[in-house]
Amino acid sequence: MKTSAKWLLRAAAVLALPGMFAGCASVKPWDRDLLADKRMQFNPCPMLHAIDEHIYFSKEASTGGQGVGGGGCGCN
Amino acid sequence: MQLEGGTGSSLRERLNKAALALLLVPAAAAAADLPATQIDTTTLYYGEQDRVQVVEPVVRATRLFGDGQILSVQLAVDLITGASPSGALPTGVPQTITSPSGKVSSTPAGAIPTTKFQDHRGGLDADWQTPIGKYFNSTLGMHASREKDYQSLGVTAKVSAEMFQRSLTVTAGGGYNWDSVFPVGGTPIGLSDGTEVTNGKNSKKVESFLFGVSRVMSRRWLLGLDASRTLERGYLTEPYKVISLVSFRSDSPIGQLTDNRPASRARSSLLASSVYHLDQDILYSSYRYYKDSWGIRSNTVDASYRHDLDDGWYLEPHARYYHQTAADFFTFGIVAGLAPPEYATSDYRLGQLTTMTLGLTFAFHVEDSPALWTVRADYIRQAGSGTAPENLGSASTFDLNPAINTISLVVGYSFNM
Amino acid sequence: MDRPAEQGSILTRIEDYFAGRFVAMASPCTVLIDGDDGEEAAALVEIAACEALRIEHKFSRYRSDNIVHEINHAAGRPVTVDDETAHLLDYANTCWEISEGLFDITSGVLRRIWKFDGGHKVPGKQAVEECLRHVGWSRVTWQDKTLTLPAGMEIDLGGIGKEYAVDRAAALLAARTKSSCVVNFGGDIYAGGLRRNGRTWSVGIDDPGRTGKAALYRLDIARAGLATSGDARRFVRWRGKRLGHILNPKTGWPVLGAPSSVTVVANTCLEAGTLSTLASLQGPEARTFLEQQNVQFWIV
Repeated sequence: MKTSAKWLLRAAAVLALPGMFAGCASVKPWDRDLLADKRMQFNPCPMLHAIDEHIYFSKEASTGGQGVGGGGCGCN
Repeated sequence: MQLEGGTGSSLRERLNKAALALLLVPAAAAAADLPATQIDTTTLYYGEQDRVQVVEPVVRATRLFGDGQILSVQLAVDLITGASPSGALPTGVPQTITSPSGKVSSTPAGAIPTTKFQDHRGGLDADWQTPIGKYFNSTLGMHASREKDYQSLGVTAKVSAEMFQRSLTVTAGGGYNWDSVFPVGGTPIGLSDGTEVTNGKNSKKVESFLFGVSRVMSRRWLLGLDASRTLERGYLTEPYKVISLVSFRSDSPIGQLTDNRPASRARSSLLASSVYHLDQDILYSSYRYYKDSWGIRSNTVDASYRHDLDDGWYLEPHARYYHQTAADFFTFGIVAGLAPPEYATSDYRLGQLTTMTLGLTFAFHVEDSPALWTVRADYIRQAGSGTAPENLGSASTFDLNPAINTISLVVGYSFNM
Repeated sequence: MDRPAEQGSILTRIEDYFAGRFVAMASPCTVLIDGDDGEEAAALVEIAACEALRIEHKFSRYRSDNIVHEINHAAGRPVTVDDETAHLLDYANTCWEISEGLFDITSGVLRRIWKFDGGHKVPGKQAVEECLRHVGWSRVTWQDKTLTLPAGMEIDLGGIGKEYAVDRAAALLAARTKSSCVVNFGGDIYAGGLRRNGRTWSVGIDDPGRTGKAALYRLDIARAGLATSGDARRFVRWRGKRLGHILNPKTGWPVLGAPSSVTVVANTCLEAGTLSTLASLQGPEARTFLEQQNVQFWIV
């Protein structure tokens, strides 16, 4: 647990990169026309994404990315 | 003075017509109508050439409530049949193997030995999202699934905050899973000949943490960065996998040992995702770096290009490239007579491998129905790339990394009630 | 001038309706909502403000990051535009046709040689001739959503941008609420229907010679667009006459004998604005022209 907390703090520090937080002159309201598009999301089709996660989790060693938890399985 | 267009009224008519044509162009951002309940179903047909076949129907219901709360419930059923590599090495003669569940498989000479199996799995997932105040959003989730030899129960919690006029979103979350493994025929002792088993359940606990930042970089571009960390503790071995025991005196493996993996695994990953709105189309791309305490490192690159046609139809080609290095204790075979390692596996999924995927999604409506059909076809090709050491005897003359070709087909159907 | 709506709009309750005020397109803007729900009113004002700012951002000739900038700096190369811009250009094209070339969005370059500051400076004949070589929609190639402007020419959508924004914002509000709303961007107005209890909206038209003082006319409108052409504050003196700022793209000179101010009521703000501009371009014939159009109007 302790190493996880340390790791998360390290990750937070890395993520607080100038690119992400700085220049937070945010996008003005009148520039949000495209952003209101339903397709403008990281995960527009969650079910298809979940299927992919399951396939690759069963066939590869890596997991994770965007979600937490979910289910395990004895996939062989 | 008379203007073109003749009399006043026809000039006004022309003007009126032109104004209406201009004003009826759909506005860029329209307030979305929230459906009461949305039903999504998907059915997966997955087929590896000569290996595993899976059929998995899933149905999900999502209900939006007026105050911004969202409840989502999902039921999934997995039917798996086929054969998967046991981990044993190929030999120069045909082999017959009996699996723990009593299934007999025969392997031709030179081919990777596989064991037949059959399983079905049921899973239930639910999550509930609720906004907190003006800038925060929280999600609580649960998962329960069960198959013949595995059970999983889990909970997740996530909180996100929007800042800087919703340009920046920060998310933090965690999850806990209580899993239980109870192999058919009992749990074999690791790195043994497999005859001695213990009965009862083996537990596996999984803790996961997530921290993510996403930012609206410009009018067209969303960028996200997610870091996740997972700790697994307990029974992490694959009870049905074996490792061939080889001897320099013999051309074929002289025996088998069971798989044995450490009782803990720490995984970390960093994912960068991007959504970019071109003139009409959208480009989704992501890169993930992963590493874990078993020595595996991987890189994943993924890209999809969504091209919308009229009426909600769309086409989305997609490509994915994945490469992983082998686990520290991965081995193609164990040499008899030498001191055995503490941990070992021949499971190709922990070896060095590359996966390439090419796919296409096509979404359409039928007649005037607002329900959306989605058909996705993927071609997946996976091949190991590790080199076997020379002391494996004749086994190293066979192809230990055959490419596995897979077709995956998903048919989806979504509608509102 | 460019204040984000979220920070810059002010909502007040007046009698039994709401008034939201903000600044966009270099003009004071007001949105009136005939209702009792303050939160909904705030959301509606926000929607109208965002739309105004979106259109200003997209079509303003003062910005360097929009389609108009791209078109005006293409130096003779063809530029393909999106649907909304294409329809706007189609509309400008129709106006050009029905006005026999008097309404011309390429006439903006003439502002370089004319300064309507009340002074006596007028450009010489050669300057006007030279500038006119870069004016004329007939010189432009516009087809298949692709616009090709010869180098040195520019388009200026200021003549229709504000009215278009009013109609757009009004449409967004109408889609969002049953309450009747009035959208007013700097005097270009659209009223979306009868108020509760069947009442009409009351709009005052200013005396251009006495801006800020009591309104000259009051009219009651339910569902209509209203626009005013003419600005008494922008003129130039020449030979004892006052010349308004509406330029005739064929002569390169202000329209002689144009009325001080023309107000028109039509089905949409866009039409009202176009008709009032066309009327001004007729100079002394403005009244006759508007009588032929069968619309409600006021000429001062």
